[in-house]
Amino acid sequence: MQRLTNDDPESWLNAISIWKNLLELDAKKVKLSQKNANPLKRKVGENDIIAKKLKTEQMQEIQENKECQLEKQIEEETLEQGNFTTKRDKSQEELQNDVVEAVGTHNQNDLTFRVSCRCSGAIARTFTAQEVGRVIGIALTKQFGWKADLRNPNLEIFIHLSDIYSVVGIPVFRVPLASRAYIKTAGLRSTIAWAMASLAEIKAGAVVLDPMCGLGTILLEAAKEWPDVYYVGADVSDSQLLGACDNLKAAGLKDKIELLKVSVIELPLPSESVDIIISDIPFGKKFKLGKDIKHIIQEMERVLRVGGTIVLLLSEDHHRRLKGCEESSVPLNSKGSRTDKPGSTECLNPEGKAAISEPASSSLAASNQERLDRMPPFGSLVPVERYRVSLGKTDALIYKYRKLHSPGQ
Amino acid sequence: MKLLTHNLLSSHVRGVGPRGFPLRLQATEVRISPVEFNPDFVARMIPKVEWAALLEAADTLHLVEVPKEPIQGYEHDESFLRQMHHVLLEVDVLEGTLQCPESGRLFPISRGIPNMLLSDEETET
Repeated sequence: MQRLTNDDPESWLNAISIWKNLLELDAKKVKLSQKNANPLKRKVGENDIIAKKLKTEQMQEIQENKECQLEKQIEEETLEQGNFTTKRDKSQEELQNDVVEAVGTHNQNDLTFRVSCRCSGAIARTFTAQEVGRVIGIALTKQFGWKADLRNPNLEIFIHLSDIYSVVGIPVFRVPLASRAYIKTAGLRSTIAWAMASLAEIKAGAVVLDPMCGLGTILLEAAKEWPDVYYVGADVSDSQLLGACDNLKAAGLKDKIELLKVSVIELPLPSESVDIIISDIPFGKKFKLGKDIKHIIQEMERVLRVGGTIVLLLSEDHHRRLKGCEESSVPLNSKGSRTDKPGSTECLNPEGKAAISEPASSSLAASNQERLDRMPPFGSLVPVERYRVSLGKTDALIYKYRKLHSPGQ
Repeated sequence: MKLLTHNLLSSHVRGVGPRGFPLRLQATEVRISPVEFNPDFVARMIPKVEWAALLEAADTLHLVEVPKEPIQGYEHDESFLRQMHHVLLEVDVLEGTLQCPESGRLFPISRGIPNMLLSDEETET
């Protein structure tokens, strides 16, 4: 571990300077949000800052990735792959100059740091977290001359060692990734909402519907990211709609998102009038599963235009009901890596995701066809992708469908 | 409720089908508020607009300067786009009703949100 720390000081320094840059942006953001209450999400350059888990070839070799990432990101929204979008208003650029002074760039040598470690798996029996932390800490002090400060360090370094990977990260934010200045009352965790919206292939000029919008979290995230779009949210509950209304006002998105008091089983919309549907299907017990969920998806299918996409967040229960026996045969990784759905219509997937080679899937395709036939309520909806995500205490699944043709054709 | 939304809504009282469109609009409180003009967005919405329905609604609200139909090359005609922007996005019906043209069923609009929940008997099978 010492060797790994010392052999590659360059990448440590690179990571630190990126971290500093992000913090400067962060400081600007903090100042600005005090003035404008206008939040920013971050987009960090492609290669450097990607949250990845590497599978090591040999268990002995531990490859260290020195990246900036959010501490909680490791556990939670791995789906997002560490992409955050930075947005700045032009009007805020003037303020930036003042803030650059205020931030006070740290001299590299003056950094104080703290190393926090987590060990899991077989490694945990060999080392304790404190030992690892100490080894790394001493190596860093020797290498860079930084001082350790356990109470209030400038720099926090998180290390997570498990049997398959080691991750070294420097948290950029001190608050959870999902916190949003512009959402007054959050329903669904914002990171999941954003992830769903980004799967939905929202394009300018689209009509996007969330027929069970609740407090409107999904629409808020989508509207912030893809503004040239017509968003409609619907819910049956007055209190939820009021909450959504408040959220829209607080976020300044009242003009972008329209609300309706409408039931998802009876959408007052003409057939094939909506381009995209994104929804978090309520997990609660008051909601009858089984029959109702099929009706819901049927109604969604009706209003969706051909070629449109549906992205749904389903609980384990929903998933089990809908998929029946298919679930046991498709392996799912627990940390949100993509499960290749055998035989799924790769040719329709515009993003050209990891394709299963055609010959290999022929036998799978046959069995998958069988499974698809067992899902009559979906009619012309073709499954495209599926992800397992963690909502903290529970897991859920994000399903993406595309409508191929009108039902009955 | 903006007129762009009204343009999309259709009654689904049982048996009504496509004759449930468009809903007849009655407004008791309307608010006109400026919305940031995004010509690209407006241009993309134009092809989706059902013009007869829009004109009928605009007429009920006594709006003036409403284009009767899309003009040639509307994508680049700023004044046309601005007029459409105003009609579709800047007029907000806060209180009023929507009426199913076939069944006569009234749906209230309250605080800008239309309530289109149907009772069990009314829903289409």
